[in-house]
Amino acid sequence: MRAFGYDIGQLVVAHVALAVVPVLAGLLLALPVGFWAHRSPAARRVIVPLSGALYTIPSLALIVVMPIILGTGILSPVNVGVTLTIYTLALLVRSVAEALDAVPGTVTTAAVAMGYRSAGLLFAVQLPLAVPVLIAGLRVASVSAFSLVTVGALVGIDSLGTLMTSGFEQDYPQMVAAGIVGSLVLAFVFDALWLGLGRVLTPWSRARTGV
Amino acid sequence: MIEFRDVGKRFADGTVALESLSFTARDGEITVLVGPSGCGKTTSLRMVNRMIDPTSGSVLLQGADVADADPALLRRGIGYVIQQAGLFPHRRVLDNVATVPVLQGLSRRDARARAAELLERVGLDSALAQRYPAQLSGGQQQRVGVARALAGDAPVLLMDEPFSAVDPVVRVELQDELLRLQADLGKTILFVTHDIDEAIRLGDRVAVLRVGGRLAQFAPPDELLAHPADEFVTGFVGRDRGYRRLGFVPAASLALVDLPTVRDGADSGNGAAPGEWTVLLDGADRPAAWLAPDGGRHDLGSVYVTDAGGAVQDGAGTLRGALDAALSSPARCGVAVDADGRYRGGVAADDVLALLERDAGRAVR
Repeated sequence: MRAFGYDIGQLVVAHVALAVVPVLAGLLLALPVGFWAHRSPAARRVIVPLSGALYTIPSLALIVVMPIILGTGILSPVNVGVTLTIYTLALLVRSVAEALDAVPGTVTTAAVAMGYRSAGLLFAVQLPLAVPVLIAGLRVASVSAFSLVTVGALVGIDSLGTLMTSGFEQDYPQMVAAGIVGSLVLAFVFDALWLGLGRVLTPWSRARTGV
Repeated sequence: MIEFRDVGKRFADGTVALESLSFTARDGEITVLVGPSGCGKTTSLRMVNRMIDPTSGSVLLQGADVADADPALLRRGIGYVIQQAGLFPHRRVLDNVATVPVLQGLSRRDARARAAELLERVGLDSALAQRYPAQLSGGQQQRVGVARALAGDAPVLLMDEPFSAVDPVVRVELQDELLRLQADLGKTILFVTHDIDEAIRLGDRVAVLRVGGRLAQFAPPDELLAHPADEFVTGFVGRDRGYRRLGFVPAASLALVDLPTVRDGADSGNGAAPGEWTVLLDGADRPAAWLAPDGGRHDLGSVYVTDAGGAVQDGAGTLRGALDAALSSPARCGVAVDADGRYRGGVAADDVLALLERDAGRAVR
C-alpha cells in the first residue's frame, strides 16, 4: 500500500520490528537482572535507581550517541533497537523484581519444603506466578517503545515516524496525522496482544469461587 | 525417629532462637512442639528438613545426621504442611498434590493417579480436583495441603501450625481428620502449634518450650495436665486442667445407671406426664429427648459415648465425656449411648466423682 509517496506496509513492518524486538530483548535481559535485585537487597539498592536513571536519558541523545558506542552507521536501525532495549530493560528490571516479590512467602516456602531446587523454584513456581505483574510492566514498556520508535525518524531511520517528520517538513497535516494514528493503532494492537498472552498464561488468576 | 541433640541456633544478628534443645520424636507418634511466639518451635521444625541449619548440635532422622543429606532430596522424603496451606495458586488441586511424586521422578500420569487417591483419603470430593486453590474454602485448602504432604509417601511429616488460619469449627474437623488419618497411617509427625488445647488434643507427647527454645516439659498430655513441671507450664496449660485431664482417664469401670425410658409413639410417649425425668427413645433405640415430669420435651444435653469404636470422638469413653453428659443434662443425669448411638444407660455425676476419689486414694497409697 502506497500513500504520501511511501510504502506504508514497509513502514509498518519496520515500526513493529523496531518496537517489538527490543521489548523482547529487554525482557530477556531484565529477567536475570531483576531476579538478582529480588534476591539481594544490596544489589537492589544499586540496580533499581540505576535503571530509573537510565530511563531519564533523552531518547534522541541516546540514538545519536549509539553509533559512537557501537561503531554502527549513523543510519543503522540497530541504534534505535539498542536504545529501546535499554529503555525496556530500565522499565522492566523493577517490574521483574516486584513481580517476584509479589509471590506469596508461604508459597515459596512450601515449594522449598517440597524439595524444589532454586532453578525449579524459579521456573515452575516463581515465574508463572509473576506473570500478571510482569505483563503489566511489559505493556507499559511496549506502548512506550511503539511511541519512541518514531523518534528514530528524526535521524533518518524509517518507521511510521517518517510520515510525521516528512509531513511536517512538507507542511502536510494529513500525513502527520496518518503517522500519529498509525503509531497509536500499532501500540494498541500489541497492547491487546500482551494482555491476551497474559490471560492465556494465567487461567488460575481468574478462577474464583463458584465455578 | 527424629532426634534433637543439643541443638542450638544463633542467627547472624546475634539473636538466639534456640539455646540447646534435646528431645526425641518417636516413630508412629504425634509429637507436638508448643510454646509462645519466639520460643523457636518453627525454627526447630525447619531444622529437620534443613530449611534452617543449626549452629550447634545435630538433628538426626532415623539415626542419620540430616546435615549430611542433600537438602532437596531430604525434603522430598519428608512431608511438610505449612500455615495457610501454601498451595500453588497456579496449579489445579490435583497437580498441587502431585507435586512431590513428580519431583520424585514419577510420570505425571502416575503422580496424578496417586494424587487422586490421596484427595479421597483426606475426604475431599473428586470434583474439587480440577479446581484452583482460590476456589476452595480455607478448610478444603488445608486438607489439600495435608494430601500434598502425604503424596510423597514419606514416613515423617512436619506440620507448622497447619490449622491456625481456619475457624474453630473447621479446626476441630481437621484435627479429627488428622487423628483418623494417623490411626491408619502411623506416621512420625512433628507438629508445631501455639495452641495448648490443640497440643493436648493431638499430641502423643507434648514438648512445651519457653522463649529461647528451652524445654520446659516433655510429657504425654495427661501428665502435662496432672503434673505441670513448673509455674510456666502451669500458666501455659491454663485453666480447668483438672477437668481437661479427665479427657485422658478411661471410664471403663464407670457403672451406668438405669433410667426410665419410653419409646416414641408409645401411649405415654406424647403429651402424657410421666411424673419423673424419662428418656424418650426413637424406633432404633436412640435417645431423642428428655421428657420432664410434667411431660415437656427437653434437649438431651451432651451425650456420653461409651466407646466410639474406631472413630475419633471427643470425650468418648473417658470420664470427661461422662461428667460433661451428667452436668449438661436437664435431668441431672447424663445419657450414655454406644458407638451406633443406641441407648446404654445413664451417667450420674456422683458416680464419676466417686470413681475419681477411688483413683486418687489408690494413687496416695
